[in-house]
Amino acid sequence: MLIKYLFAKNEDIPAGSSSVFFGFSAIFWFVVGTGLGSFNAAKLAFPDWVTGSEMFAFGHMRQVHVLAVILGWISMAFAMTMMYMTPALGNTKLWSEKLGLWNAFLWNVGLSIGLFLLWMGITSGREYSDLIWPVDIIIFFGVLLPLGINVWMTIAHRRTQGIYITNWFFGACVFMIMVVFAVGQSPELFNLTGLTEAYMTFWFAHNVLGLWITPVAAAIAYYTIPKLTGNPLYSHRIGHLHFWSIIAFYSTPASHHLMSAPLPEWLKSFASVEGVLILIPAVAFVANILLTMKGKWSMFVENIETKFSITGVLLAIPLNMQGGFQQTRAINWYIHGTGWIVAHAHLALLGMSTFLEIAAVYFGLQQILRRKLYSLALANFHYWFVLIGFCIYWISMTIAGLIQGAGKIYEVPYIDVVVAEHPYMIARWVGGTMVFTGNLVWLYNMYMTAREGTVVPAGRYAHEMAYER
Amino acid sequence: MAIKFDQPFYSLSDETEQNRIIELWEAEKHGGLWEANNRLPLPLTFLMALIVLTAFMMTMPIWGQRPTAHDFVEHVALMDTPEIQAIEDPVAKMARVHEIAYQRADSRVKASLERHPITWDDLLNIAPEIKEAQASGKYPLDYYSVLADTIVLANFEGNPTADGSPERKQPWWDKGYTIDVFYVTYFFIFAFFVCKRLPHFSRKPDMSSAK
Repeated sequence: MLIKYLFAKNEDIPAGSSSVFFGFSAIFWFVVGTGLGSFNAAKLAFPDWVTGSEMFAFGHMRQVHVLAVILGWISMAFAMTMMYMTPALGNTKLWSEKLGLWNAFLWNVGLSIGLFLLWMGITSGREYSDLIWPVDIIIFFGVLLPLGINVWMTIAHRRTQGIYITNWFFGACVFMIMVVFAVGQSPELFNLTGLTEAYMTFWFAHNVLGLWITPVAAAIAYYTIPKLTGNPLYSHRIGHLHFWSIIAFYSTPASHHLMSAPLPEWLKSFASVEGVLILIPAVAFVANILLTMKGKWSMFVENIETKFSITGVLLAIPLNMQGGFQQTRAINWYIHGTGWIVAHAHLALLGMSTFLEIAAVYFGLQQILRRKLYSLALANFHYWFVLIGFCIYWISMTIAGLIQGAGKIYEVPYIDVVVAEHPYMIARWVGGTMVFTGNLVWLYNMYMTAREGTVVPAGRYAHEMAYER
Repeated sequence: MAIKFDQPFYSLSDETEQNRIIELWEAEKHGGLWEANNRLPLPLTFLMALIVLTAFMMTMPIWGQRPTAHDFVEHVALMDTPEIQAIEDPVAKMARVHEIAYQRADSRVKASLERHPITWDDLLNIAPEIKEAQASGKYPLDYYSVLADTIVLANFEGNPTADGSPERKQPWWDKGYTIDVFYVTYFFIFAFFVCKRLPHFSRKPDMSSAK
């Protein structure tokens, strides 16, 4: 339906079209990504599940799951929020809806090609940078650059003098992700090998998390929580502290991912201190949002978007406590290379970040479509299935990681460790499948919202209206 | 835009600048949002200080030291004693060796032994290498890292020795920490300037006329 606007004049395209395109694409990729996650988890829980075909081997499917979630769900949800929050915060329109639509279209095409090639086993072979260089070029020029241009130009054409904190993050993070992506893919282009390749790979992986996924998710909360509660953001100056400490302390500790590698020890020492200092932006962010909730805590129970948002903010606490300390020499020695890290990565992506994005997608789609959410019951089903599913996943993988760590240190035979962690692999599959089920329901709920949601009158917010189902 | 330093903990902006910021603040709503001018709560300020202190204390290389050949000298010496030779089961042999060596070790070696248990097979492999390193006397034994079943000369560039060459063992402080001290200091000076250029937190913007 939105494809018809690709060749329309910019002024003929309804405001918010690109945001809707990105929003539904994001939910679709979330369903695909978590479906693949459930499939892959089943392979670890039940080793005889789908065998005999290379295409469905864990080694082929794992990176398709990872990149479908990062580039499909998370990043498209970010693009969706940028397409509606950036102009709203500048009291203006999106600079180019047409560019936004082409951006969403090319993003879906590029990602589909990339994931299909990964599925076929055509990969650069580097974790998180798995896509081959021709696809990297599509991602850079078809995905990141148009997104950046639209965000920056919208900020430049704003009708306010000040720039709200969310737009600081949006403007800065789209720039940083371009640099991170371009530099991070360079080992393939320049044929870098060995320790240099390893370092560059994890420099990329670290910064995708630190300068894209977590700060943009936080920026979204700076919009949704004041908007939903009607309270002003608690403190502009804490916002400064958060923003600048992200820049200073999250951009520097990449080598803490390689604490056992023969990198210079001084570099590890430097990175390890910076790694703990990641707690500074985390504390600033969590404090600023929770203090903004003052007097409105009932909304945490009553309002679905607030429920998702605040859950995401609360998950930022264990996320950063783990992240800050697990990279220190003493702890990393034990948990490196175990399921603990897998649990932590899911706490970041499926926990903190995803919950904040889901809230923004719920809120944004209702506002742009001018439709009240179709069913609160389905939304609550979605919330509890994603939350309980995630918790089962996170806790089981954390325990499995501790078992693996003990097995590693005490030289327990590998097969004994596999047997010991088997129950947790089943729990992992159960949790992941719950998340997938919740997302299927979400996709249906949003589709029905677009089709049959109650019309929201002009000048009203969807969340102010009563539910009819 | 002038910066004033007469009351740095109140505001680094002069009155004109503070008024300009407050007026702008009061005039604009960003898509229906606005921001309050609250301070960083005092408990959070202490928490920040605690985080910085923890970051340095917890990451020092004295935590997470790699095992060195020096840690296992006692094990090597015990291997050929009649008591150990008389035990047949390798696991029991290793348990007894560890028990005796642990009792004789100083506290630092004890911590390392707890963190880096090795098997009898590993000990059989590293013992000749440790003896060779002892016999050559070229480097102190704690310059050699134990990596599973072998020992290697560590590549650390630690503190300088009397002849100017660097120690090949992990120092308790290295230049990474020195860089961190400067980096963190610069950050907080910068953050102080950024935050204190804002109007003092006692000045609350009145949002009733914001558009």
